Amino acid sequence: MIANPVPSAPVAIEVLHALGRVPSDACGALVRKHPDGTVAGAMLVERGRVCWAMSQHYPRRLTDILVDEEHTLTHDQLNELFAMCRRDHMPLGETLVARGLISLPVLHRALLRHTCEALDCLVREEASPWAWVPHSGFGYHPMLTFSPAEVVTGVRAIANPALAARAMARLAEVVRPDQHGFAIERLRGVKVPLAQLHCEGLDMVALGDLAIHADEVMAVADTIGVKIALAQLGELACASWIEHDVLFVLLCGGELAFNRLVAQASAMTVHP
Amino acid sequence: MSLLEAITARIDDCVVAAWVDIRTGSVVEQRPARSEPFVAPALDAAIEVMRSPERPPRMVLLSDRHVHVIQRTAHDPNRVLVVICARSPNLGLAVSQVRALLEAERA
Repeated sequence: MIANPVPSAPVAIEVLHALGRVPSDACGALVRKHPDGTVAGAMLVERGRVCWAMSQHYPRRLTDILVDEEHTLTHDQLNELFAMCRRDHMPLGETLVARGLISLPVLHRALLRHTCEALDCLVREEASPWAWVPHSGFGYHPMLTFSPAEVVTGVRAIANPALAARAMARLAEVVRPDQHGFAIERLRGVKVPLAQLHCEGLDMVALGDLAIHADEVMAVADTIGVKIALAQLGELACASWIEHDVLFVLLCGGELAFNRLVAQASAMTVHP
Repeated sequence: MSLLEAITARIDDCVVAAWVDIRTGSVVEQRPARSEPFVAPALDAAIEVMRSPERPPRMVLLSDRHVHVIQRTAHDPNRVLVVICARSPNLGLAVSQVRALLEAERA
């Protein structure tokens, strides 16, 4: 048993805690069981990345989401392909891409959505704490697995899609291609990752620590009318600000990172 | 010329430059000695921000009208330089000048 679900905590935090206890190089499944011993669902993890999630009470199939995301696909087409992949032991996703039926980004989005929606169901179930079941094979295509940052923000977006979409739009406005940005929902007593851009490869624990510092600084700075706080963290520079109770953090590296970020922040308008 | 005097003399938009002690929570020295009413709470806020030893040694806070440059000194982590300047198009220059003057003093 590696984590006790906390019913009052947001689902995203529960997922984050569960993933945080999995060894970074491990391969296996985080499993929850019903009181009668049957499996309620599981989250498959390889080398710190989430590959798939399932829940007995999650009603949608991946094919439903694929048709949703890619309107040129039909259920009949997918069912036929699914049967063929099953018979010939071929991976469905890669086969769809190889045949030009779907692009890799759309497949990635559909798989992430399926995983996040299944996790949202699984965490809410009356079931046992997460148990780690290791296995030895690494089988998922890395492009079709998800970082904890993608999964946690994806799960949170299910609970608050409008806020997550606004946060994502704001990040898209300000985060440059060589920068990382994330948004944290400031709920009472807990900070919940809401959206991220270019943070897929970053350590969630380090980002969480950064968010806590940024939030503490902004809480003080706000009392004297400060809108944006910038900090130099070795080779990295960090800017943070709050809009509508969402904390935004922007990270920038490279030469003169701090000076560049000061210039960028001074040109920004923070919406109260 | 002390560092605080050098900062107020060389940075056109400087409103105040001060040394604060985050251990005692006090302003050790400031130039000019008398300043606008917003300065005292701004120095208190800088002390509060830097009170945690885990805070980065160099920070810049931007408000609509001012830029607050806060920098811990290497030789005494409890001693923090706070410089508040009016916001202007030369904001980046002011931030760099504070750093350069502090480094020149260390050398």
